[in-house]
Amino acid sequence: MKRIIIADDSATARMFIRRCLEIIGLGEVEYVEVEHGKEALAAAKEKLPDILLTDLNMPVMDGETLLKWVKASPKLCELPVIIITSAGNPAKEAHLLKLGARQVINKPVSPPVMMKALQDFLDN
Amino acid sequence: MIKHKPLYQAMQQAVSQTLENMAFTEVLTHFDPDYAIPEAELAWTSLLITDPVQGEIRLAMSKSLLEKLTATIYTLEPEEISPAQSKDILNELLNTIAGLFMTALLEDDQTYAIGLPQIGEGPLPEPEENAIVWKLMTADEDPLQLVAVGTSLVSLNESAQ
Repeated sequence: MKRIIIADDSATARMFIRRCLEIIGLGEVEYVEVEHGKEALAAAKEKLPDILLTDLNMPVMDGETLLKWVKASPKLCELPVIIITSAGNPAKEAHLLKLGARQVINKPVSPPVMMKALQDFLDN
Repeated sequence: MIKHKPLYQAMQQAVSQTLENMAFTEVLTHFDPDYAIPEAELAWTSLLITDPVQGEIRLAMSKSLLEKLTATIYTLEPEEISPAQSKDILNELLNTIAGLFMTALLEDDQTYAIGLPQIGEGPLPEPEENAIVWKLMTADEDPLQLVAVGTSLVSLNESAQ
């Protein structure tokens, strides 16, 4: 079973993301929902997920810091990280992609946008 | 208080996109520009814009609208809704609206930073002199209101023109 970590301090946002993933065919998945980057990092180290979706703007550890930690970790550096943010624009997207993000998606998310972003993942 | 077009349109578009996408709810300009949500019926949250301009955006709506939106988004009956869910939805709506609003206002090569939303208590603060206020409502005539304050945030209106 695939394992997906969703990091967002908003329960509403996590529910929305999860609902979109289920709609595009990722129903039979082990979902791990966490509220910030530090929890996401701990969950990823505990058991390597197939993909990590994270918000940018979170307390304790934000999404950009989480991305840097993941990409600097020998154990986690190959983990695909998708950023889902309300504070994204082309400049921010370019910056995050340079840091190693697989995709950057702007809120509000929708199933078609999620489908496009996860096409490679779904094909595999 | 002033009402400028670019800033005004950017916010209306951000609110429409957010509510239509998240709650299948259409947003219109309120037919009464002087309408104020009674304090007993008021739910509001605010968020700071920290970079490259400084300001604050507030989102206020009637508690009944917040209840409707929460029920729609979570697919729950009104009696099943918890206060925590309503507050989280109010915050997430503002978070999403603020992001779309700033993206629409700034150049593509300009990054920006916004803070975390914080639920407000008591009455909505009186808007400052140069504040921009959006009086909106849903198709069911449930009121919502947005306020942008902060000199440098509001001045984006001039650079956008």
